[in-house]
Amino acid sequence: MINKEKIKKLECDVIVVGSGGSGSSAAQAVAESGLNVIVISKDPLASSDTKICEGVMTVREAGDENDSEEELANNIKLAGGDLPDKKITEAFAKDSKIAYDRLRENGLRPSINKIRSTPKTLAIAMGGHNRSRSVGHKNSGLSFGHVNWDTIIKFKNIEYYEDCWFLDIVKNTSDESVVGGVAYDACNGKLLSIKAKAVIIAAGGLSTLFFPKTDTMRGNTGDSYAIGIRAGAALVDMEQIQFLPFCLASPPSYEGLLAGEPATGSFLGVIRDKYNKVILDSVYLRTRAECSEAIMRAVADGRGSPNGGAFLDMTANKKAKRSGKFFMEYLKSALPTAYNNARQALGKEAGKAEVPWEVRPSAHYMMGGIKVDEYGKALSFSTKLNKIKNIKGFYAAGQAMGGLFGSNRLGSTSLTEVAVFGYRAGNDAAKHVKKNKSKIDDSYFESHHRNFFKLFNDDGKFKAYNLKLDLQRKSWKYIGAARNKKDLLAMQNYLNELDEKVKNILVKEDMSWNQQLIEKIELQNMILSAKAVTLASINRDFSLGGHVRLDGKRKKIFSKPFSTLILMEAYNKLKIEKIERERTNFKTVLKYKINELYRLYIAKFIRILPDFLKDRIIEGKYKKILGSKAKLIEIQAGSLEAAPAEINR
Amino acid sequence: MEAETLKVRIKLFRDKKSYEVEYIYKKKFLDERPMILDVLLQAQEEKIDDLSFRYGCRARNCGICTVDINGKPRLACRARVKADDLISPLSTLPVIKDLIVKRDGIPRQMIGYNKIPSKNNLNVEADVPYHNLTACIECYACLDGCPLHKKNNLDIKDNNNAYPFGNPFSFLKLQRLYIDPLTPEEEKRGIIQKAKSLGLETYRREYKDLKIKCGVGINLKDEVIKPLLEVAFGDQIEKKNK
Repeated sequence: MINKEKIKKLECDVIVVGSGGSGSSAAQAVAESGLNVIVISKDPLASSDTKICEGVMTVREAGDENDSEEELANNIKLAGGDLPDKKITEAFAKDSKIAYDRLRENGLRPSINKIRSTPKTLAIAMGGHNRSRSVGHKNSGLSFGHVNWDTIIKFKNIEYYEDCWFLDIVKNTSDESVVGGVAYDACNGKLLSIKAKAVIIAAGGLSTLFFPKTDTMRGNTGDSYAIGIRAGAALVDMEQIQFLPFCLASPPSYEGLLAGEPATGSFLGVIRDKYNKVILDSVYLRTRAECSEAIMRAVADGRGSPNGGAFLDMTANKKAKRSGKFFMEYLKSALPTAYNNARQALGKEAGKAEVPWEVRPSAHYMMGGIKVDEYGKALSFSTKLNKIKNIKGFYAAGQAMGGLFGSNRLGSTSLTEVAVFGYRAGNDAAKHVKKNKSKIDDSYFESHHRNFFKLFNDDGKFKAYNLKLDLQRKSWKYIGAARNKKDLLAMQNYLNELDEKVKNILVKEDMSWNQQLIEKIELQNMILSAKAVTLASINRDFSLGGHVRLDGKRKKIFSKPFSTLILMEAYNKLKIEKIERERTNFKTVLKYKINELYRLYIAKFIRILPDFLKDRIIEGKYKKILGSKAKLIEIQAGSLEAAPAEINR
Repeated sequence: MEAETLKVRIKLFRDKKSYEVEYIYKKKFLDERPMILDVLLQAQEEKIDDLSFRYGCRARNCGICTVDINGKPRLACRARVKADDLISPLSTLPVIKDLIVKRDGIPRQMIGYNKIPSKNNLNVEADVPYHNLTACIECYACLDGCPLHKKNNLDIKDNNNAYPFGNPFSFLKLQRLYIDPLTPEEEKRGIIQKAKSLGLETYRREYKDLKIKCGVGINLKDEVIKPLLEVAFGDQIEKKNK
């Protein structure tokens, strides 16, 4: 039953959902145009993934003059297995510098390369980049967190509500345009009913589906995707979740947190199973997905470690007579937070790399998401007409959107993604609102009010929190870092059963910070997102990038790349379409492939050399990396050209 | 011999009443040394399904899981549990439910504080003191013992009101802006004005006895309060202390 006293009516020009990197950039763009913004955030202001990340950002030309827009756009597209949308990658390349300068105007202060008068880049190009363009920052993501906070606080025409769960976009039922949204304000115990002609969804990812096997914020409950698809948008590449291979498996307080990256495994690091057998060598040259796959294959075969992972063995690096001490310096400085996590969690011996580390993959980033164009406009897809159409007034940015990264994300690109597309979406939303003068009718909101009060159920039998925990366990098992058809079908059945249980969840009638209500809202979003991931994963029956199918065939090099598209045909009922993507010409792919094989061959050659010779060669390599004095803050996936290797997997 | 369980007390706040409940944490293995957050998560799973508390990154970064442990503010994700610990909401902010406090009165007092144009040369490096301040995770541990924040009326009003009196966090934000190499000289007066309007004068009077502690180890007295006092009121403080 609707209780009018519990509804607070508000009005603004644009609603921004999320207060992290994307949300703050979007809010700034709208505020600069003079319009009024309401920022809705379920966590405290700016306490987002941007705040807790490694703080390395891709800025074109920062470390290399020969870094054209085309070069960067192609790098992303090739790394993403040809799944990225060309116009979106081009927009990324076009705006990365201007977006970075905007953050600097708001208080981000990098180290400066005084000779070139540019922000200083990290010593080696990393995470699959083919140019030096990753800029590190002191205090990692926290420096960005301050900027996001400051940006939202700066403008008097930005109003913000934290502790507030955005529920759904409200649309005009006749022309499908956005007329506002509804949100549960837990702190004030109200249902916010907000009229606005545009809504920007910048509410992050879905890694909490795999909690505690994730290194991201608790709030990543797939809200973006669930809200998006309920509002009619298509979801693209939903099977493409990026897992970090080397995260902690124990003790519980550290479970899921980052311990290292393929690059920090260094020249002699290998992965071993519980029988001490090497299951992957040359770890430092491998992609994240390759490492994850090796670990999860061992687990599936019963050769995994006690906590469902494998062992990252770096002891050979340490034991080397001359290069050993350089290795330790490298390990500690390359990823300081990760190293500290590992040392605290695994103990002193592990901290000295004298014993192997037990590691297990963790969910890190959703590369798929709401289908958008290069301005952040959300798109729907009509199967009947085979046509893509934009939903007027609906925008998405950051991890919420899909189409930029495809099947693999280059290191340090997400901070650029949020700054570029947050601002683009804000800009376009402002233009849309200024053109649109019609009045918004109250009637569109009524069904949403009714639906909200239907969430309460005093006689409910199930506890939402416990269902959530069960869903998290099942998600890891069935749609986690390694998948197969049998598990995916089991997940589909499980999710349908869970839908039935949701109808019978206990939610007491209480408006003031109702945790049962919050858990139920989030659980529903997690279920819908999990359904989208499952359906997309079933239809991608081979491994590609972040999607690992243990039962998959090898993809043929000539086959045409496609993206999966998830649509909602009836309430909570999903269906799938595939859209074709343009393939990068064969010559370029072959070039990358040969390069990768060559590097693996060289690595193998060094490994079989006599110890003293091997030691000297590696010592020289460390000196080159460490000698540049620039502090390494983050090291991401395998290496330079490692990422494109995923194209043919 | 290690015990298999750990007993803690959790202070709940519901229907305008505050009361303690006991929770017995079952260790996952014998030598487990759980954090407060592990206890809260298990308590929600096993006993109190609507236990309300904040957490985010579990790695001392996001700054939102701060609670009082035996009366002192601590980050739940990195505070080890001892038997008989009392877990209660931050005493320095108004409680909404259980361990949830309303935080937004703090940032709201800063709205518009940094409305400074900085379109000049961006390729200027900030000094170490600037970066020392960006280590702040906004955990609000520094509110404990702050003589200024104590003056704020913590009653919850319906319309998200800002607190009139300042706190070390807000002053940190101001000091960071003040030493930002891109902040123009003519704007600096405005920053000090803002600091004064938040009650910096009180800090001047009570500087010697000021006991504020940063949750992540920033030296708030030397790196935030002292430099602000020096610019705002000249060098009188220094002289007095000598």
